[in-house]
Amino acid sequence: MVNDDGQLYTIEGVAAGMIMLFTVYIVLGATSVYTPGDTHISDMQLEQVGTDALRMMNTQVNGSAGTSPLQDIINNSGVSGFNGPEFNTTFLNYVNNKTGSETDNLHYNATVTYYDIFNTTTGSLPLASNRNLTGGEHPVRVTEWVIVDKKFPGTNVMQNRAVLVEVLLWRD
Amino acid sequence: MAGLNDEAQWIVMMGFVVSFSFFFLAMVLNQSTVVGQTTAEGVLEFPKNDIRDVRSVIIQSVPLSDQAVLQTDIETIALSRKGAVVNYTQPTLTDEHWHISIHYNNGVTAYNETWTSS
Repeated sequence: MVNDDGQLYTIEGVAAGMIMLFTVYIVLGATSVYTPGDTHISDMQLEQVGTDALRMMNTQVNGSAGTSPLQDIINNSGVSGFNGPEFNTTFLNYVNNKTGSETDNLHYNATVTYYDIFNTTTGSLPLASNRNLTGGEHPVRVTEWVIVDKKFPGTNVMQNRAVLVEVLLWRD
Repeated sequence: MAGLNDEAQWIVMMGFVVSFSFFFLAMVLNQSTVVGQTTAEGVLEFPKNDIRDVRSVIIQSVPLSDQAVLQTDIETIALSRKGAVVNYTQPTLTDEHWHISIHYNNGVTAYNETWTSS
């Protein structure tokens, strides 16, 4: 005859054991490892910072008429090439400003993409950068459309052209 | 279960209640890490800034000369560098307002708008 004393203790013991196992399982699942391939949150914030900085640069200073600082940088008084140093100063000032005296540590590499009418291809010209890409970074790409009155490769005349300013932005 | 001691049932029940509350708290904690990630993925996936930007450049181009050149620039570069099909109609003047039909499609999100000048 099996001794049927202590059945409640047995049931309680089994139930408590199962609850503890489930709790441990779920608590362990909560501590996820933050791998480089899992950086969506910081990527999103970096992308928004870069987009906002470029949009600020592409807004006219007095709010309505005239050209924006970014248009002036690309146009560079109508001569060939861009005003890279000016872009470098303004962009780094916008993205690296933080509350307090410490600045952020963002780096970038900017290019201008234009459409080559003669060869019917798109081409890229370097605009500015403050660090060379080594391949170890994890950059995000932010872009801004700019309309400039300038002569680009593939044409011989000054005309209104839409170009895309592309910036690779990363933090290290 | 004859002769079973049925004292201290209150203590046993409280034990269960506390265990289950730990269990549900752990579940909430477990979900909280995923929430920020899926939100960020959703934001990265949705091309809000791209649409606003391409819309803005199209509207900026309205009063300018070289309309055809600008349209080719915008449509070609958007396709080759942003992976988005953009096309729009040249502005037409109806009832003293300019109208443009703007279409944007990057394969995930499609956006259509008929812009009217003020």
